[in-house]
Amino acid sequence: MTASLTVAERRIGLLISILLALMGLVMAAAAGHGVMSLHGFMALALGLGLAFILGGSLYEAEAPADRLSRYYDAPTRFGISMTLIWAMIGMAVGVWVAALLYWPEGTPAWPATSFGRLRPVHTTGIIFGFGGNALIATSFHVLQRTSRARLADSVSPWAVLIGYNLFCVWAVTGYMLGSTQSKEYAEAEWYADIWLVVIWVTYFVLYLRTLARRNEPHIYVANWYYLAFILVVAMLHIVNNLALPVQWTSAESFPIWAGVQDAMVQWWYGHNAVAFFLTSGFLGMLYYFLPVRSGRPIWSYRLSIVSFWGIVFFYIWVGSHHLHYTALPFWAQTLGMTFSIMLLVPSWASAGNAIATLNGAWHKVRDDATLRFMFVAAVFYGLSTFEGSFLAIRPVNSLSHYTDWTVGHVHSGTLGWVAMIVFGAIYTIVPQLSGKTDMASATAVEWHFWLAVSGTLIYVISMWNAGITQGLMWRAYEENGALSYSFVESVEAMAPYYLLRTIGGGLFLAGAVICAWNCRVTMRRAVGHATDRPLVAQPAE
Amino acid sequence: MLKLHYNLEKISMGLVAAIILAASVGGIVEIAPLFTIDETVELPDDLRPHTPLELAGREIYIREGCYACHSQMVRSLADELDRYGPYSLASESAYDHPMLWGSKRTGPDLARLGEKYSDAWHVAHLINPRDVVPASIMPSYPWLTRSLDTELLSPSLATLARLGVPYDEAMIAAADADAAAQSRPDSDAMDGFIERYGERPAARDFDGDPSRLTEMDAVVAYLQSLGTLTDAPYQILTEGGQ
Amino acid sequence: MSNTTDPKELPGADPKTGERAIDPVSGYDTTGHDWGGITELNTAFPKIVIWALIVTHVYAVIAWILLPAWPTGNSYTPGLLGLDQGEQAIEGYQNLTDNRQNWMSRFESAEFDALQSDDALMALAMPAASRLFADNCAACHGTNGEGGPGFPALTDNAWLWSGDPEEIALTLHHGINTEDPDTRYAEMPAFDWMDRSERASLAQFVADLPDGSVDFESPAGILFTENCSSCHGEAGEGGLEIGAPSLTDTSVIYGQDVDTVMATLKQGRMGVMPAWSGRLSDAEINLLTVYVARLGDDAGDPQ
Ligand code: HEC
Ligand code: HEC
Ligand code: HEC
Ligand code: HEM
Ligand code: HEM
Ligand SMILES: [Ca+2]
Ligand SMILES: [Ca+2]
Ligand SMILES: [Cu+2]
Repeated sequence: MTASLTVAERRIGLLISILLALMGLVMAAAAGHGVMSLHGFMALALGLGLAFILGGSLYEAEAPADRLSRYYDAPTRFGISMTLIWAMIGMAVGVWVAALLYWPEGTPAWPATSFGRLRPVHTTGIIFGFGGNALIATSFHVLQRTSRARLADSVSPWAVLIGYNLFCVWAVTGYMLGSTQSKEYAEAEWYADIWLVVIWVTYFVLYLRTLARRNEPHIYVANWYYLAFILVVAMLHIVNNLALPVQWTSAESFPIWAGVQDAMVQWWYGHNAVAFFLTSGFLGMLYYFLPVRSGRPIWSYRLSIVSFWGIVFFYIWVGSHHLHYTALPFWAQTLGMTFSIMLLVPSWASAGNAIATLNGAWHKVRDDATLRFMFVAAVFYGLSTFEGSFLAIRPVNSLSHYTDWTVGHVHSGTLGWVAMIVFGAIYTIVPQLSGKTDMASATAVEWHFWLAVSGTLIYVISMWNAGITQGLMWRAYEENGALSYSFVESVEAMAPYYLLRTIGGGLFLAGAVICAWNCRVTMRRAVGHATDRPLVAQPAE
Repeated sequence: MLKLHYNLEKISMGLVAAIILAASVGGIVEIAPLFTIDETVELPDDLRPHTPLELAGREIYIREGCYACHSQMVRSLADELDRYGPYSLASESAYDHPMLWGSKRTGPDLARLGEKYSDAWHVAHLINPRDVVPASIMPSYPWLTRSLDTELLSPSLATLARLGVPYDEAMIAAADADAAAQSRPDSDAMDGFIERYGERPAARDFDGDPSRLTEMDAVVAYLQSLGTLTDAPYQILTEGGQ
Repeated sequence: MSNTTDPKELPGADPKTGERAIDPVSGYDTTGHDWGGITELNTAFPKIVIWALIVTHVYAVIAWILLPAWPTGNSYTPGLLGLDQGEQAIEGYQNLTDNRQNWMSRFESAEFDALQSDDALMALAMPAASRLFADNCAACHGTNGEGGPGFPALTDNAWLWSGDPEEIALTLHHGINTEDPDTRYAEMPAFDWMDRSERASLAQFVADLPDGSVDFESPAGILFTENCSSCHGEAGEGGLEIGAPSLTDTSVIYGQDVDTVMATLKQGRMGVMPAWSGRLSDAEINLLTVYVARLGDDAGDPQ
């Protein structure tokens, strides 16, 4: 990190680190005990550690003078490493919670590792840790290449990435210690929420400033999606997390929303966490890495426009499909259902656009596992959005809601689409950042691909079976008009599927571990920079 | 149109503004009316807020992530009425910050759980579910037998009162005492509890150990209160049945 | 940075004709942009997408007309079908109950003997009762009614109150030791005032009761007669229908080993059986009554 900074930048970094340490100290002292104080100490330790590194390097050699004529890739490299670390954490916890549903005693009798606390560790660790780091890291890469401009600033990329990871660590350790707001995908407590807002604003400013320096008249589609991701996630995050802390010195808080309004706000957020975190940002990734890897032009510029605005506009309406038949008024459910159907068109338009882009490159798809990752991602994107629109139809949802069908849908989206596109992007970016043309081991990539595909299929198919069985058992009636099954019978019927899911997840995790190893070896053998599109000369900073 | 976009693509602030605009409409149209349409939440007269002990139990329910496996929302579907009881009304969670409707039923719905089982059963079940339900895959919670920390109860009630939950000054001031009283119905403090919360909340030694106020007391008190805060859903079912 | 939209001035365009590179695979020209090697085709908007947009929008508009849909300030458009999800649910529930009314209505009467002797009815009703038992009672009384620590078995024909269906139904309606005004009341008092040594000898005595190797004239036996017989019977045989169990048979609620009896004596017992009126209908309660009575009958006499 420090080698890429000038002395002046190191000073700024030092100042920020000291401020972070002070903030941590104040938090720890004010809270006195409990989670918030522990989180204060974490911030203190991180701030001191960073101050130590930066302070120690103050008098070392400056970053080379010609650095402004190159893209700034050090933060991306760090972000990719964090992506891989969180992938292993998040997926390992995923396998663990999957195992617990088959084998409930498979956890120490220690509150921190009980199912209900580990589950949000999985969701947050994987969505925000793995997904978020991947998005931020690739956005820096894509933004610079498609703007032909270096990042507008050298310190804030680090602030964004490190601060963001502090948020993730606060969140997951908080859940394990029992600190949670219980709002799905937004469980982190109020001070972590505020911290994330600060980070996000920094990210947004950096993004816009770099965009302003672009040397291309037009902003590339990938950046539209990354922008939508940054902006809308900020909006969702702030509104959904509005809360009153019980005291300024303790972690507990009460969301300002209650009951049915809270439910609507929560799923307006929750669904659009899917839309703008798990979809929009990754579509940005797809729109960059797919044409780069396949060497093909995007199939249709016009289709890109329609699918982008369709996704941005329609998605926001559909959150109420998570609340069919509940105490949410019927009218809101109807809107959620109908917009979900209309949403299918832009969703499939982007999946179709991606697949059609591969026209003329099918031989590459066959030979190149990396491109195959992206192809499979686009296919699963199409599959899961179709399934989503189907599940949003009220009568279908009456069967699927509350069951493992939803979980199957989730993972066809997250394993099949999100994780696959990330792996495709990583396998493209890591050799490039290491000055190589290929990953250290092509065989390992191939292995990873097949592990990921088979893991996904086993996971998703077993959950479809589980969910549909569950839903049918709950509503099955005998001819004489009496319910056929007790609830516990439906629990017992899940056992084989839960076992299969654990195995599928284990395969997927194994693939991710191989990927992490392969990336590490590749990065270790780094030899400067690969040939890149030349940067346009930058103004002095 | 195409030309318009062709130009929009060149102006980053234009793109930003357009995204914000496009992504705001749906949320506003769906959320704002939930505050303005009166029939969305029709507060029944008999709706009571949670007592301090129940509230403490609710916080533990949240802390342990029970909502990850249990819904508290009986949907308006005939088979759910049959299995669980009257469908849930918006008013039942009107004082719930946050709501705990849930999105997964690994375990059964709990919206109508109150007084379905005995306190002793809940204690046994929470300590080890497989002792009473051999096929259960629910985690054990043996640590709930530790003492309840009541430090934040008063400020919690005060915070909720600021958010519109009907807790008055007296309730806020006596939150700790009321939590203890509800689990020790023979104590003198019970009179004050009844004065503030009436006769309806169940007041018992929930965990079977009168000498201590434990997290188990709180969780069981909370579980026994589910579905008992108002009679309205039951009335709708019987009226509709005529 | 150029701001033009004139095709001739666009990058990659022929400055005279404004034409750009043609993609050899698709035959389309590109938009003329090049972001680090990425280009875009000017492919015409696919017709199928337009059709899909039309179809889905038509679907949506029809749904908006028929169903409650658009908020209008302090109300909303109710939809031509005039649907209300609550009413629909109750109606559906009504249909369900109507459907089983032809046999379920039989259980509205409490003529248990008549019900039990109707084999056809039993064949129809017992599976339903079994599901009802599994969802409501099995948590305490075990999947097959075999009981568990703190919860009596219903299969052994050893009754706290009575195996008589009328009595079982009463227990189901009002429960035991509940807040129901008509609840059965059964308290095993705490004998914490007794000396520990006396309790220990009593516990040993009670533990030995089932195999009959006890002497009622022994100090422990006298203690038993003085303190316990009023509820548990002269010889501990129970059956007084006041909720006090027999201590001479092998069926136990909490346990009849020395340690458990010591605990019972020290703290007393007051097991709670919930009341089911209100949660279950009268017919359902009667149905379960028959089910429970048969569980006991199947077992024959208690050992
Ligand atoms: C891993 C999922 C899981 C978690 C987490 C979980 N439960 Fe359960 N729960 C179940 C399952 C499965 C059942 C059904 C089997 C049984 O009765 O144990 C159940 C049953 C129950 C029941 C009985 C409901 C009825 O009507 O029969 C209660 C009460 C309950 N859970 C409360 C809780 C509480 C309180 C927590 C948190 C402290 C919790 N559960 C956490 C899975 C879970
Ligand atoms: C919360 C646990 C619990 C549930 C649920 C429960 N019971 Fe009980 N039941 C008990 C306990 C405890 C007793 C014994 C009370 C005592 O100790 O005095 C009992 C007693 C009984 C008795 C009296 C037995 C006798 O020997 O006289 C019957 C009959 C009975 N239960 C049937 C049922 C049926 C049928 C259901 C379901 C509708 C049910 N119980 C649900 C706990 C429960
Ligand atoms: C006021 C009546 C009463 C008296 C007196 C009484 N018991 Fe009980 N006993 C009960 C009742 C009622 C129960 C069942 C409690 C329950 O199920 O929760 C019971 C339960 C028991 C049990 C538990 C049985 C089992 O199956 O686990 C034992 C042991 C017992 N009594 C022993 C004694 C002894 C020894 C004495 C005398 C010192 C005694 N009782 C005096 C009413 C009485
Ligand atoms: C090794 C691979 C994985 C395994 C074994 C796994 C396992 C699980 C399990 C067991 C659950 C809980 C389901 C339940 O409560 O019934 C879950 C939930 C979830 N997982 Fe995963 N997971 C994996 C990968 C991922 C990835 C890569 C993502 C996202 C990028 C993800 C996102 C989620 C989400 C969003 C939920 C919540 C679903 C809901 O609330 O309906 N998972 N996962
Ligand atoms: C057109 C696109 C989509 C639509 C209309 C859609 C619709 C739905 C529906 C109806 C549910 C079930 C709600 C319920 O019954 O509880 C759901 C759940 C979910 N979907 Fe999708 N989906 C879409 C795409 C995706 C994609 C691409 C992903 C992941 C990358 C995804 C992730 C999820 C998650 C995480 C949940 C679980 C939420 C929860 O209960 O915790 N969805 N979606
Ligand atoms: Ca939060
Ligand atoms: Ca207690
Ligand atoms: Cu959704």
